[in-house]
Amino acid sequence: MSCSRWRWLLAPVATLAASVALAAPPAMLNLPDFDALARKATESVNISLDTSLLGLAAGFLDSSNPDDAATKELIAGLKGIYVRSFTFDQDFAYPSAQVDQVRRQLAAPAWQRLVQVSNSRDRTHVDVYVSVDRGVANGLAIIASEPREFTIVNIVGSIDLAKLHRLEGKFGIPKLDLPPEGRDGKDGKSDK
Amino acid sequence: MLTQALAGERAAFAALVRQHQRAVYSLALRMLSDRHAAEDLAQEVFLQLYRNLSAVSSQAHLAFWLRKVTMHRSIDRLRRAPRLESAAPAELAAAVSETQPADPLLERRLRALVGELPPAARAVVLLRYQEDLDPADIARTLGMPLNTVKSHLRRSLAQLRERLDETAAALI
Amino acid sequence: MSENQQNEALQLRLRAALRRVDPGEGFAPGVMARIAAEPARTARPARAGAVAGWLAFGLAASLVLAALLAHEWQARRLEQGREARRQLLEALRVTDEKLNLAYRAVNSQERAASAEHSGA
Repeated sequence: MSCSRWRWLLAPVATLAASVALAAPPAMLNLPDFDALARKATESVNISLDTSLLGLAAGFLDSSNPDDAATKELIAGLKGIYVRSFTFDQDFAYPSAQVDQVRRQLAAPAWQRLVQVSNSRDRTHVDVYVSVDRGVANGLAIIASEPREFTIVNIVGSIDLAKLHRLEGKFGIPKLDLPPEGRDGKDGKSDK
Repeated sequence: MLTQALAGERAAFAALVRQHQRAVYSLALRMLSDRHAAEDLAQEVFLQLYRNLSAVSSQAHLAFWLRKVTMHRSIDRLRRAPRLESAAPAELAAAVSETQPADPLLERRLRALVGELPPAARAVVLLRYQEDLDPADIARTLGMPLNTVKSHLRRSLAQLRERLDETAAALI
Repeated sequence: MSENQQNEALQLRLRAALRRVDPGEGFAPGVMARIAAEPARTARPARAGAVAGWLAFGLAASLVLAALLAHEWQARRLEQGREARRQLLEALRVTDEKLNLAYRAVNSQERAASAEHSGA
């Protein structure tokens, strides 16, 4: 499977890793208490997996199963994964103050913003940051705001995005119907 | 019937097969989009049931067991032979129409679109709308987080709606 | 029609479209033919006889208690591990989903810029 889709993200990461040498930054964000937000949400995801829980999870991945083995390999370099995601039944029902609190942490020198992109059609906005320590990317942060969903992802440790992409479609990781490279973005399937 | 089948009575087991064959076969058919592969897989599921009948404790557990094994085998089969995913919608429509009277065009189109969903999403949609399971039961059957099930349902419905709208637009 | 109503209508249609179908007359006989090649099932074995003597009973009770505690600990550990695995997969799913969201947005911008450029 081609990993060219992730060149747009991997190339800047590689460039940063090669050129930046900083003092050890905290790649782990201090996420605010989202209890009030969770009460307003119709669905919420609150995941905090530190090193020991990641180790426990890895112990329940079957190395003889290729997909499990690939997942184990993917998380081998991780020290933590933290996800806060909230879904609402109205557009933009989440306040920006708590999002801004996280963004302020990402303004620290050790965090480099790789991507800041908005899609006016879907009214979505996504920021992707990477934390670099002594030339090595050691953390990833994603802030995604959609009309009815707001998500923060913080990964501490090194993760191979190409490997994550290869796991699409497995274990309930949905295979998203994205247009292949080189097409004009229209769905190539024809109606019959 | 279950007790008699557990005691080794093959007639009782045959009755169990007849009682559950529609559910098992239909799930396999809509996962694999291939009548012969679905029949083969469904028979294997019942063969596996025969070998492991002592692990089944009740009728309710039996239904759960059959769905779980059918879906996991189907997803495994699709991963090993992804060409099954690209069976033409016409083939699936023809396969289904052999066992049912003429279907409305829309229902046939919907079945084809469901057959084009990724395996995990397709499994969730089938368990919800063919088997009428609630999301928690779907999560248990597939060994999937509940939020993942809900996400699949939400996104699949949006995708199906969008594809149906495209069909309607194309016909105008 | 509101989005909720559209969803309701779609769900009704899905239920109708995904009605169960029969596998055909030969299905059950086909299963039984494959089973005929299997060894005959036997009834579950009868339980062993009870252990006699108070001392033996006490020892057995202690062993059972220890086994139950160990089993309970194992069951809890198993559940914790399974839950950790579930959460891990969910976290990876969300991460990939949001990266794809960014990719789609970037792609959409590039296509719009390209269309504008070629139209100019």
